[in-house]
Amino acid sequence: MHELSICQSMLEIVDGAMADHPGARLERVFVDVGRGSTVEPSLLRDAFEIATTGGPYEGAELVINEIPLVGKCRSCGRSFEYKEIALGCPDCESTSVEIESGLELNVRELEIDG
Amino acid sequence: MSKVDIGKKMLSENDRLAAENRVRFAEAGLLVLNLISSPGSGKTALLESTLDRLPDGVRVLVIEGDVSTDRDIERVRAHGADGVQINTAGGCHLSAKMVGKVLPDLNLDGADVLFVENVGNLICPSTYDLGEDAKVVLLSTTEGDDKPMKYPAIFHESSVAVINKIDLLPHLTYDIERAEREIGVLNADCDILRVSALKGTGMDEWIAWILRKMKEKRGE
Ligand SMILES: Nc1nc2c(ncn2[C@@H]2O[C@H](COP(=O)(O)OP(=O)(O)OP(=O)(O)O)[C@@H](O)[C@H]2O)c(=O)[nH]1
Ligand SMILES: [Mg+2]
Ligand SMILES: [Zn+2]
Repeated sequence: MHELSICQSMLEIVDGAMADHPGARLERVFVDVGRGSTVEPSLLRDAFEIATTGGPYEGAELVINEIPLVGKCRSCGRSFEYKEIALGCPDCESTSVEIESGLELNVRELEIDG
Repeated sequence: MSKVDIGKKMLSENDRLAAENRVRFAEAGLLVLNLISSPGSGKTALLESTLDRLPDGVRVLVIEGDVSTDRDIERVRAHGADGVQINTAGGCHLSAKMVGKVLPDLNLDGADVLFVENVGNLICPSTYDLGEDAKVVLLSTTEGDDKPMKYPAIFHESSVAVINKIDLLPHLTYDIERAEREIGVLNADCDILRVSALKGTGMDEWIAWILRKMKEKRGE
């Protein structure tokens, strides 16, 4: 789906950072992908492979930190994986919930050689 | 081997362009609504019905996002809207850049509300900010009542969820309360409306919602 265009945006950020390190080789890209973020990690990995083949980042590794979708009950304060809390808090049955994590889509850091 | 700290959102460039669009919309005092749903939930039908019901004097603009045809823009023009079509050439969502590019083709000043009908897709459009004031997610009763939990991001991002095709409820096993409860858990601040774009049921509440947002935008 949109993993290819997300990957392009990611590589533009990488380009910007690599410009400050002329001559360095890109080894790894560390990213956060929330399970509720709409991005499918395996498709992002495929897109990265396709987009980097034959270019300056060929052989670099995409390291994806998958973050579970977690909801927190506003009444009792407990946190649950979202699938457990989808119809309300399993403990106190409150339906007042907020998403704590799992929507992330970030480039965290790069590992470079040189 | 050395580390380079980045700490950026992947879509930070899209967010920057969306902020530029937002400035342009604010200058024009224009309410902008980004309509998102699966293909066929009734985005264009809702727009057609909305155009027929908004009070006289409300000037409406429409941007239609579609993979390859002009069909939807023709449909809304037939109901009196000015607008432009964006063809994404296979792309599954509109981006802030695509919207920014067509703004010079629209007469924003003097317009009251701009509807952006996104490409039919419940996944990809939710991550791309276009500069809108609010995302409107549409789901229709024929899609099943388990959709909020399957597509959490869009429900988390939307200001209002419109459940369309309620005229079909007698023929379906759709549990509308369940769908509404799941939406509420994902986003307690999301308004929920039940409509039939085809029969007009619930359209008064939807029109009132739009007029309320227009007033908020103008700071009244
Ligand atoms: N029964 C019923 N049918 C509806 C309703 N709203 C829309 N439809 C029908 O659903 C079909 C799809 O409607 P569209 O408005 O084209 O849907 P859309 O979301 O714009 O579709 P795409 O732009 O292709 O993503 C059409 O055949 C409509 O007539 C409704 O309230 N009730
Ligand atoms: Mg349509
Ligand atoms: Zn609780």
